[in-house]
Amino acid sequence: MTMPERALPLEGIRVVDLSRVFAMPYCGAYLADLGAEVIKVDTHHNQFVDTTRTLNGPYPDNDPGELYWERGGTFQTLNHGKISVTLDLRSDDALEVLRELVSISDVVLENFTPRVMRRFGLDYPNLKSVRPDLIMVSNTGYGHSGPWTNFGAMATALEPTHGTGAFMGYLDVDADGRTSSGTVPNKIANSYTDFLASWTAQLAVLVSLIHRAKTGRGMWIDLAMYQVGASFLGEGILDYAFNGRRARRLGNRHESMSPHGCYPCQGNDQWAVIAVRDDSDWQAFCNAIGVPGLASDPRFADPVTRHGNQDALDGIISGWTSSRTKYEVMTVLQNAGVPSGPVLDGRDMLADPHFRNRGYFEPVEHHPKTGLGRREYLTRGWRMSGSDVRIRRPAPMLGEDNRQILSDLLGLTDSRIADLEAAEAIGQTLAGARIPASVPLDRQVELGWTVDYDTDYPSRPPV
Amino acid sequence: MAGVPFGLPLDGVRVLELGGYVSAPYCGRLLADYGADVIKIEPPGGGDEARRMGPFAGDDPHLEKSITFLYLNTNKRGVTLDVETVAGAGLLGRLLESADVLVENYPPDARPPCLNPDALAERYPHLIVTSITPFGQTGPYRDFAATDIVTTAISGLMYHSGDSDQEPLRNALNQSFYVAGINAAVATSAALFQRMFTGRGQAIDVSTVECLASHLVQALPYYNYMGAIKGRRPVRGSGFEELMPARDGYVIPSVQGSQPWSTVAELIGVPELQDERFASGSGRIEFGEEIHDLLLQGLAQWDRKALHQASGERRLVFGMAQDAGDLHGCPHLHEREFFRTVSHPVAGEADYPGMGPRLSGVDYQVRRHAPLLGQHNSEIYGDELGCSSAELAQLKALGAI
Repeated sequence: MTMPERALPLEGIRVVDLSRVFAMPYCGAYLADLGAEVIKVDTHHNQFVDTTRTLNGPYPDNDPGELYWERGGTFQTLNHGKISVTLDLRSDDALEVLRELVSISDVVLENFTPRVMRRFGLDYPNLKSVRPDLIMVSNTGYGHSGPWTNFGAMATALEPTHGTGAFMGYLDVDADGRTSSGTVPNKIANSYTDFLASWTAQLAVLVSLIHRAKTGRGMWIDLAMYQVGASFLGEGILDYAFNGRRARRLGNRHESMSPHGCYPCQGNDQWAVIAVRDDSDWQAFCNAIGVPGLASDPRFADPVTRHGNQDALDGIISGWTSSRTKYEVMTVLQNAGVPSGPVLDGRDMLADPHFRNRGYFEPVEHHPKTGLGRREYLTRGWRMSGSDVRIRRPAPMLGEDNRQILSDLLGLTDSRIADLEAAEAIGQTLAGARIPASVPLDRQVELGWTVDYDTDYPSRPPV
Repeated sequence: MAGVPFGLPLDGVRVLELGGYVSAPYCGRLLADYGADVIKIEPPGGGDEARRMGPFAGDDPHLEKSITFLYLNTNKRGVTLDVETVAGAGLLGRLLESADVLVENYPPDARPPCLNPDALAERYPHLIVTSITPFGQTGPYRDFAATDIVTTAISGLMYHSGDSDQEPLRNALNQSFYVAGINAAVATSAALFQRMFTGRGQAIDVSTVECLASHLVQALPYYNYMGAIKGRRPVRGSGFEELMPARDGYVIPSVQGSQPWSTVAELIGVPELQDERFASGSGRIEFGEEIHDLLLQGLAQWDRKALHQASGERRLVFGMAQDAGDLHGCPHLHEREFFRTVSHPVAGEADYPGMGPRLSGVDYQVRRHAPLLGQHNSEIYGDELGCSSAELAQLKALGAI
């Protein structure tokens, strides 16, 4: 049997992306990188627009500008590679257009609460009737069943709810400076759970496409971010099942490795991590840092004594690291074969030789109207030798592809498109909004949102 | 269960998993949960290094009782094989004849000769080879030594975790290797789908630090859009969207969602919070410390679970800090059939956390407990590859199995 050639895994696959905010839009962007045609269903009515268009920024030079809804860096990162159609789903005609679009598509992504999709008649049973082999991801905080099904959710509040805080937190310190296991939970932050949901959705869509190719059947994926988050902490939950252990908060220390921690380096808020796995790492570590007497100090002779005297050991190591840069610490220790690395911030990452050498950041040329010019974006954690997976275009402007999608793809007549326009069901200019206020960077430093800033950032050479 | 006439999505896909610890095993587990026949290949003697990692069932150190190992290896079959020996490499070659995917996580400088990527691609053009490493197969850090704290630091995620007046904080439970594992499963599935049309396999290079760095959709544009370095949680602020003490633990009060401030203030139950000055985002920044104190007062009257329930009923999105015991007993997760009882001949019986998503028509089951070391040697080498018992005895004598 001859098969058509496919340069990309998802060539010929069409995705309708109804989703908002982080998790599912990001899933859509990855599917676009893999070759799918991903149609972002936008709206030009501010109260229903994807809030990453309006609330997240960051804007070029902290200036939202007139077309601010096209200019947010986080929005751009999450929505690259898509095309955009605006449809105000309060209009019956727009809803009908959406159903027509679904009928010629393979995948739908959405993250409305269960009652919203039912109200619009866009729940899986309804959409399945227009596209019988549809693959649909419904992403919610708690899923479409269970006692918490109607609870709303945001990743930042979900993260401790699904348990990360049981397994991370600073050590407690007593009045004499002695440390013990932490009692206060902490957070990974950065909307951690959104990304777990995004990876999970990508995998579920891909295996469902394989399943559909073999059986002709579609799939409904009921993705509960709470449950997904718990599945990533399964070993901790299973420890409770076997041993009744509820939590383990060790700061930056480790059950068996010692020393193991995060140490201050030269400069403002600069840090390096070090993990000594065993006695052979310990000897290499002592030789590399050259602190006299350390290798023969009986307090640190074996893993058990090192573990028991970690407060003293951390003091000695901090003394060594604090007069060096974080990259020097990495180089000295990695040359000795000891696991170590700098704690990189956003500026460091964009300049780091490893990320640059591997081409992790891809340049994107933006539409001149946006004033964004050419910028680099983070990409994905894997390369495929036989597929040219990459960012093909920037995030779409609001309704940028209305004509192509409504007329060329769906074959709507000009008069029907004019009716949609007259009813304000489609549009390309955000309505009902004001230019967001931007907080000056000096004030952001005061508030602790920003550690520091460089005014010469566009021209800084890589370190 | 009835109603599953079409089987699981990855039925008929055979995966060889030649890797240890967390990343490759988690990738293998995800593929196995979706129906793939995953054969886990472990070195004879000690097996996967995760077998020697605590905690252990009953806190009893034993090769068959590592909880991490038990969790990551359900639904797989297991064989032992020393692929560094000539006889072992030969047997691996025979296994590869019928494999669709090979998942491995050797350090690039320690990859055994039989896993040379060019030779594999030439001999098995249909094979998908997924390689997971801390830094990837290229680049200046390729051969660096790494553990989870190192990959988390270099990924950029650690800088943003924890409090701004303390050092960056390590993330929970080897998260970097879980994130690498699921990303590897994503790329592997994309290659499997593509192969249905092209008939050709490919090599996939998964970098753990890059997988985690892909989470930084705020911190990176912060710098290349406006030159700003985003930091950790500010110490001073209103307390919303942060962990705050309640009567019996910690909660996250939130103003997110579509409800007005008055609903939030009413739930917390301190009358002084019903103040127009606090109703806007900018007001909550300006009067952050005042709000923080009132919030502490109000939350001190609430238990975590009662507050979470009351928030959900008002369409607010508060969170709470739950520990492993809370999750294991969570009625919501039980009603969604998240747990599966698994009986293991050495470790005993327990309720295991299952799959994250629920798929219509996919009947997730734990078909097998994590394999005992070499449990399926005779089934796979003997029954399936047709090795005679004399051959098996010889392989054993050579130390290959």
